[in-house]
Amino acid sequence: MQSVTDLTLPYMPFDEPDFAVDPMPYLEAARRQHPWLAKCAVGYFVHEYHAIRDLYLMDDKFRNSADAITAHMGAKGTPWGRFMEEMMIAKSGPEHARLRGSVAAAFTPRSINRLRSLMREVVSNLLDEWVPRGAFDFAAFASNFPITVMFGFMGASTDALQSIRKSLETQGLSYSMDPSLLPALEEAYQVLWDFVDKLVIERQKRGGRNEGELLDEMIAANAAGRLSDVEMRELLIFLFAAAYDTSKNMTTLIMHMMLKHPEMWTRCGEDRAFCSKVVEEILRHTSTSNVPRTVSSEVIYRDVLFPKDVMLILPLSISGRDPNAFPDAMKFQPERVHVNHHIAFGRGMHMCLGQHLARAQIEEGIHLMAQRIVKPKLAGKVTWRRFPGTWGVSSLPITFEPGARLSRDGDGGAAA
Amino acid sequence: MVKITYIEASGAEHVIDVMPGLSIMEGAVKNNVPGILADCGGACACGTCRVFVDEAWRERTGKPSDMEEAMLELHDDPSPGQRLSCQIRAVENLNGLVVRMPKSQF
Repeated sequence: MQSVTDLTLPYMPFDEPDFAVDPMPYLEAARRQHPWLAKCAVGYFVHEYHAIRDLYLMDDKFRNSADAITAHMGAKGTPWGRFMEEMMIAKSGPEHARLRGSVAAAFTPRSINRLRSLMREVVSNLLDEWVPRGAFDFAAFASNFPITVMFGFMGASTDALQSIRKSLETQGLSYSMDPSLLPALEEAYQVLWDFVDKLVIERQKRGGRNEGELLDEMIAANAAGRLSDVEMRELLIFLFAAAYDTSKNMTTLIMHMMLKHPEMWTRCGEDRAFCSKVVEEILRHTSTSNVPRTVSSEVIYRDVLFPKDVMLILPLSISGRDPNAFPDAMKFQPERVHVNHHIAFGRGMHMCLGQHLARAQIEEGIHLMAQRIVKPKLAGKVTWRRFPGTWGVSSLPITFEPGARLSRDGDGGAAA
Repeated sequence: MVKITYIEASGAEHVIDVMPGLSIMEGAVKNNVPGILADCGGACACGTCRVFVDEAWRERTGKPSDMEEAMLELHDDPSPGQRLSCQIRAVENLNGLVVRMPKSQF
């Protein structure tokens, strides 16, 4: 057995702008030097699918890195720093189970399936508004979709969306580990706190309870003593921020890929079941999340000892690019027969709470988008978000042929 | 110990002695039985530890909770005896339990 500090390892410059644009040259170079591990600016970077998969499930050996991130950012004791250290994904054991349990029932496949008509209505209305332009930044278009669904899920008016959009965008950079962002993160947190505080107070005043509306369920959990006032508000900030960033990035990543596979995009408009395959394959090929983990008690993995408090970047977003786990890993093949399955939603107790919501709304979304955004073509420079925060395409200018709405909820038929 | 027989979709059988109190999922994962992924680690959150309980044992394993049923809707599968193995505990009266795994957990 060797301590990780004694190993000769490649360096993974994940914080370089070029890495965010294309991590593959860096990944390939690292693989040539070590089969699964590299050093990086904050600790170690695991780049092999099976190692990421194994380590992600060791909830008893690792903790969320919120404490290390707030130290790195100089945010100990600040409102944003406290939020990062107190929110659900930073907790473990019974505390985590209590917080997650207060909303988990709302995120089951059964609950999410009830939202499908809402998802179709939201995306159809957005398409009505945006499609006649014939050209737009797809990332900007997509940024309206999942968050509007979340407002509907909460039973909240979207009037406030424009006023919190920038703050949601900023909150998505929480894991980027760039201390220069701290003032913006603090400001964004305050805006979001004020927003959810007002939302809760207004709903409590209104009274009553609409079954299935997430905010009402959370207020009921608060009234029953299962969620404190602060926990409820912080959970709401977390849910709005997560709803804004992740599915919007995944939808944009799909369009980015579909520009290279126009025949698949056409089929997405015609074949709803094919959309599910496209979603699973993009989750494997390129996804958004890269939550770091910190060793909470000494770990020995593959005969390598990781001391306490070492931070590991486990890049779920590119874990499916490992050629030893997925043959022709860089080839986008929705009909791929999986021996291994992607781990884009993580594993273990912190596995993405919103995974069923994400899948459903992206599937519903791209089916209708492909009917209305016909023959899309790249019309400008593609830019990328930072790695490892919530990674993805930040700008994707396209032109296309506007397609007509086919029916009220957009089901069926091909693009006109 | 509680004897559990796990049968893969291919027909391959694995007879495992599971420590009482562990879940049927944990019994499989700890003994490297293929076909049960359990990505969420047993939190009833992912639906990837699905099994089919043999008819003779369904009364003893009981019915799924509301939460488990809501998770099982992930799989559009009407086959009887469908359960999440993380939600069944290995207890004495399940000694001899037989569960079958689906061809895929997705």
